[in-house]
Amino acid sequence: MNRLPAGLYQPGDSRLHRLDALSKILCLIILLIAVVNTTTIPGYAVLALLTGFLIRLSGIRPPDALHSATRLGWFFLIILLMNLCFYEPEHPWFSWWIFRPSTEGLMQGVNVVARVFLLLVLSNLLTITTAPLAMTEAMERILTPLRILGVPTDLVAMILSIAIQFIPTLLEETDNIRKAQTARGARFDSRKLTEKANAVLSLVIPIFLAAFKRADELSLAMEARGYRTDVKRSRKKYAPLQSRDWLSMGLCTALAVAYVVLK
Amino acid sequence: MQKMSTVKKAIITAICIALCVVLPQAFHAIPRAGAIYLPMHIPVLLCGLICGWPFGLLCGIAGPLLSSLFTGMPPAAVLPSMVIECAVYGCAAGLLMSLVKTRNTYADLYISLIGAMLCGRIIAGILQALIFSAGNYSIAAWTTSYFVTALPGIIIQVVLLPSIVFALMKARLIPERYPKD
Repeated sequence: MNRLPAGLYQPGDSRLHRLDALSKILCLIILLIAVVNTTTIPGYAVLALLTGFLIRLSGIRPPDALHSATRLGWFFLIILLMNLCFYEPEHPWFSWWIFRPSTEGLMQGVNVVARVFLLLVLSNLLTITTAPLAMTEAMERILTPLRILGVPTDLVAMILSIAIQFIPTLLEETDNIRKAQTARGARFDSRKLTEKANAVLSLVIPIFLAAFKRADELSLAMEARGYRTDVKRSRKKYAPLQSRDWLSMGLCTALAVAYVVLK
Repeated sequence: MQKMSTVKKAIITAICIALCVVLPQAFHAIPRAGAIYLPMHIPVLLCGLICGWPFGLLCGIAGPLLSSLFTGMPPAAVLPSMVIECAVYGCAAGLLMSLVKTRNTYADLYISLIGAMLCGRIIAGILQALIFSAGNYSIAAWTTSYFVTALPGIIIQVVLLPSIVFALMKARLIPERYPKD
């Protein structure tokens, strides 16, 4: 229970923390292109090494950095076993009842699990090393071209930033409500699917009420402090990207290009 | 009638986007819960019904994207179709809610909700047939995936969403649609 919720910002002064939020988001997108274009074990090994290097560079404890992915351990195992046993291969190792394990099935399972795992850890690293305010600014800068179409980009960026900040809070709230409902007799651990579904459904209305209560309090606090959406917002000048930002984006691009070409 | 401020609508949208990530996690213990109970559709439809179409549209686009980024669900392969489907739900729910005014909140809610659910499914089916599964899609597949498999989710949405809206009105967290003078 003492573990930080996945993705919660952890202040720090590491090299990853000091990178501009915009360059971190762009690096993540570029690295995801590399992840999606990987199909071989050596390819995944290189990306896993890079992810490990980034975790070390961030100064974040590895269990915290990997938490969003490791908590899905059972899910990954099931996906791997399902692909191993039920994939329709040309040359299965053996065939028994409905099970036809094969090298192709194993590779397919490894592909899915490795991609989701890397995606989760890399996106977790982004949110864990980037302050929510910096994330908002970066999103606003990315969304700027949409202003031509009349989209209020600053409002959209504010909404996205608040949404990201609320995820860990609402996860904790859900956990509290789950415990309260368990105390009232809800059976989340039941083996019967209907009982389990009923228990989960008993969470929904309290979650919504708790979440909307928070929304009400936050909007009241913002309006009381003079936050308005109908006036032109003043803005500071964004600091230009520094050489370390360009270098990191260049390295990520080179890696992604290499993966696309080698595919 | 007291209207909701844009700031409050924005914060509610943010909360609904966060719920698009959190709610599917709550259903995680049930196998194939995403396809059967459709937990991500609930906040999107609610956002459209309460805040209007621009906010519902944003929630429908950003909810699945953030969920995919943070939890890996929905997977990247189904993300584009899911984003479009949810965006239509949010947008249609908001549009219908602003157009339908029967002087009865329940009637407005049900007409808008069912209309939005149909619009989303029809557009998602057309997109599956023309783009995402072009050549491999049939009416039977559409009916099975969007109506038969998802029947528990549809029932939950029809029963739960008006109840949530009324609970929020009763708790004075959102203004009444037709306040009694």
